[in-house]
Amino acid sequence: MDNHLKNTLRELLVALADDELILGHRDSEWCGHAPILEEDIAFANLALDEIGHANLWYSVLADLEEADRQSFVDRMVYWRDAPDFRNIQMVELPNGDWAFSMLRHYVFDSAEIERLNVLAESVFPPLAETAAKIRTEEYYHLRHTRLWLRRLGLGTAESRQRLQAALDQLWPYTGQLFEMPGEPDHLFALGIKMDQASLSWEAQVIPFLGECQLILPAGAERLLNRQEHSRHLPILLAEMQSVARLDPEAEW
Amino acid sequence: MPDDTQWSRFQVFVQVKPGAPFLDYGSVHAPDLELALLNARDVFARRPDCVAMWVVPAEGIFSKTVQELQDWDSAPAWDNAGNRETYHVFAKPMHAGAQTLLGQVEASSPEQALRLALERYENKKPAFAWWVFPARLALSSQVEDIPSLYAPAREKNFRLSTDYKTITAMRELRQPDKDG
Repeated sequence: MDNHLKNTLRELLVALADDELILGHRDSEWCGHAPILEEDIAFANLALDEIGHANLWYSVLADLEEADRQSFVDRMVYWRDAPDFRNIQMVELPNGDWAFSMLRHYVFDSAEIERLNVLAESVFPPLAETAAKIRTEEYYHLRHTRLWLRRLGLGTAESRQRLQAALDQLWPYTGQLFEMPGEPDHLFALGIKMDQASLSWEAQVIPFLGECQLILPAGAERLLNRQEHSRHLPILLAEMQSVARLDPEAEW
Repeated sequence: MPDDTQWSRFQVFVQVKPGAPFLDYGSVHAPDLELALLNARDVFARRPDCVAMWVVPAEGIFSKTVQELQDWDSAPAWDNAGNRETYHVFAKPMHAGAQTLLGQVEASSPEQALRLALERYENKKPAFAWWVFPARLALSSQVEDIPSLYAPAREKNFRLSTDYKTITAMRELRQPDKDG
């Protein structure tokens, strides 16, 4: 493979994996704190799924680098600091209330499915196969979060107000959902058409949010790139990495 | 109970492979049937195997144990006032085991459904307890749900306790104590 192409692929895989890892970690923070036992289990499940997806993406990258999967993934997760992470900012924001976590998950899941649809068409087989595999599980995530959004949006005045507040806070971050690292020419050469994903995402998400009685906030998107992070990411990483870093030689 | 903030309870029935009878797996709380189905999936189908699931509002299940049946006033034998509809019949076997789907009867009330079920199945399948409920109360997962709801669990060995060598590891850790 051409080196430039390989670089784009590298950056792309890190971005995809980091999104899943950081959201998965946030999901895991609900464990023991969700409003009801069943939803606690559901969120733990989401966390395992997302972290599992991160593992798949890091493993594709490990293969590309001809590295040992296990130690490569551990290095990516536990031994990088915030400036090296390439996740979008939306997933690193603190969980907030139930409405915020649900809305973020819906926004991310619905975008992820569109991203995966596009990636599944890539000419790089490991990328296409992994995308297709992850996609089946994301249908379930989306189903779960859609049910919740409807119920919160059409529920009580308080639930709608909280969901609207979450949308007001999150919407400016959505501009980042389809922004992928790497040269556009190289992404094109890999058969990845993110513009297409973005359009079909908007076509379904905007009407759905309307059905949930939500009003799209007016106002500028925040223009962010994947190297910029909020003050929340280092705190998240400190917690996620603290045990592994206590003893670098430990076997798990 | 005005102080009870729990959601309603839904009974969960699981089919472990195509053609197998649905078995009672337990219950979940949920605000409604649709979320009950997804909660049921998260609670009971995280480990293989499952190909289909029903959730049914717990209060919609008419149940009698073998003791209750002794005192059960069987009249009115036939209640033709209501519309006839399909009822699912479950029974808990005398030996250990879960409530298991035996089949369906057409009846116009839960009482009539149970009576018909007893006539049809009691001699063949002596049971410890009987459940009947109208089929329309159940929400079922669909065949097209299998790939996203149930299939991924098959590859997730990390969810099984057998994937962790905890017992062996603990034994090895304790070994020095024994020697010392």
